[in-house]
Amino acid sequence: MTTLRAWLSDPNPASRRQARLGQLWLAALRIRRNRLAMAGLVIVGLLLVVALLAPWIAPHDPFVQNLGNRLKPPGTPGYLLGTDDFGRDILSRIIHGARITLYIIALVAVTAPVLGLLVGTVSGYFGGWIDAVLMRLTDIFLAFPRLILALALVAVLGPGIENAVLAIALTAWPPYARIARAETLTVRNSDYIAAIRLQGASAPRIIAGHVVPMCLPSVIIRVTLDMAGVILIAAGLGFLGLGVQPPLPEWGLMISSGRKFLFEQWWVATMPGLAIFIVSLGFNLLGDGLRDVLDPRSASR
Amino acid sequence: MSLIEIDNLSVTFRAQGRLVHAVEGVSLKVEECESYGLVGESGSGKSTILRAICGLAPVTGGTIRIAGQPLPSPRGPGFAAQVQMVFQDPYASLHPRHTIDRTLSEPLAIHGLRDSDARVVQALVDVGLPPGFRFRYPHQLSGGQRQRVAIARALMLQPKILLLDEPTSALDASVQAEVLNLLNRLRAERGLTFLMVSHDLSVIDHMCDRILVMQHGKAVEELARADLAAARMTTSYARSLFEASADRMLAAP
Repeated sequence: MTTLRAWLSDPNPASRRQARLGQLWLAALRIRRNRLAMAGLVIVGLLLVVALLAPWIAPHDPFVQNLGNRLKPPGTPGYLLGTDDFGRDILSRIIHGARITLYIIALVAVTAPVLGLLVGTVSGYFGGWIDAVLMRLTDIFLAFPRLILALALVAVLGPGIENAVLAIALTAWPPYARIARAETLTVRNSDYIAAIRLQGASAPRIIAGHVVPMCLPSVIIRVTLDMAGVILIAAGLGFLGLGVQPPLPEWGLMISSGRKFLFEQWWVATMPGLAIFIVSLGFNLLGDGLRDVLDPRSASR
Repeated sequence: MSLIEIDNLSVTFRAQGRLVHAVEGVSLKVEECESYGLVGESGSGKSTILRAICGLAPVTGGTIRIAGQPLPSPRGPGFAAQVQMVFQDPYASLHPRHTIDRTLSEPLAIHGLRDSDARVVQALVDVGLPPGFRFRYPHQLSGGQRQRVAIARALMLQPKILLLDEPTSALDASVQAEVLNLLNRLRAERGLTFLMVSHDLSVIDHMCDRILVMQHGKAVEELARADLAAARMTTSYARSLFEASADRMLAAP
């Protein structure tokens, strides 16, 4: 154990593999020192575990209705967080809903920022007419209200999780493109870009290897901050009957169905709301920590 | 035939609708294995000449030939293997998120050269850095060490010509001398040709065989090193530039 640690923290690594593992090790140490980031990591880790083990840890079936048990308050024996208007256990529905939430988040997180980064860096690096065309396209997407555009897309493609994700991703990329373009403009005239250009590097190599790493931290922050919004837009689409369809236990859908009883049976909408709140908080904390870890210069601080 | 021939070069920038003539009708010839200096106050267009050679500044007139060949536009991979540049500020010329290893091995990857491990280690040793620095980031190095890395990067493709854009002006005096001596040693070992820009005549005197004094984008006077040491200038501008730094030149060993 101690030899492994010494090997990982060797200040003068002997090979690329050792250097890379050593950097991962340092990053892990840095994120462990950051208490808030650890809290975020624990929350996101819990979400992953819950989603993975949902069928085994949920006390009830999330779909079985029992009208004799409808709208039981939290703390009722056997129903820790109460039941909803069809007598379904809210805790079980939240646990199963973690899967859907994670699925939506993962799909959006790998599509929208990648598309935004690509458009933004290409636009900022080349400038000229490419910049003008791509940025006006971005303006057009930004000018539409996000939910309305997602609605229009889902209306064309048909309701369902995949189409909802596609609609969210297609409406979420313009801010990432704007951020990436702004960062690209600050680095494109720097000496290190001139140096690599002088070494004969092609534009794709410069953009992917030299420009994107400089844009990543701000994009990652933005992604984690947007996660709460993504869950809510997915919920909004579900509420309008265009996203996740009932009876699937999607958290946003559960909030909208609990809206009718908000004043008398507050827990029906509040419990999934709390779940969204905790998960969003976890992503925000983790994102903040990741920014510190991704920047090797912060190691000295 | 000279290695670098610049004939009547003009560079014009367009800034806010106005034309700025950064370089006007400058001609110079640099022989193989020679060290040629460009001197002048800031804004005299000396760095712009280097950038024009690299294709980083808009050439509006005249020709640049390397080994008799006019340069292609955009500069191809062949140009990269022939001409490299060391930038002024070592804090800005290394990618802050790449390790030294990545910075030095990337030119090898671009040009498909094998054996990058051995070459990177050898390059570090050649510029007087311990091989253990290989996986550090630029922020973990001092200014002088960074400039050594930048020199090593410029030499990775074994170019014949090195363009030096005030390579020591961002460093303090003791480190400055070390880096200049390193450059002189590498030039002698590898038969490099230097085209060096500086506003500091004592640096130029230490490094260069011939110099060209520039002012307001125009060539003022060309001097050999012996002329500089004997203060044989014909123009008053070159003389005033010389007198401004003469006391430091005499103090230098």
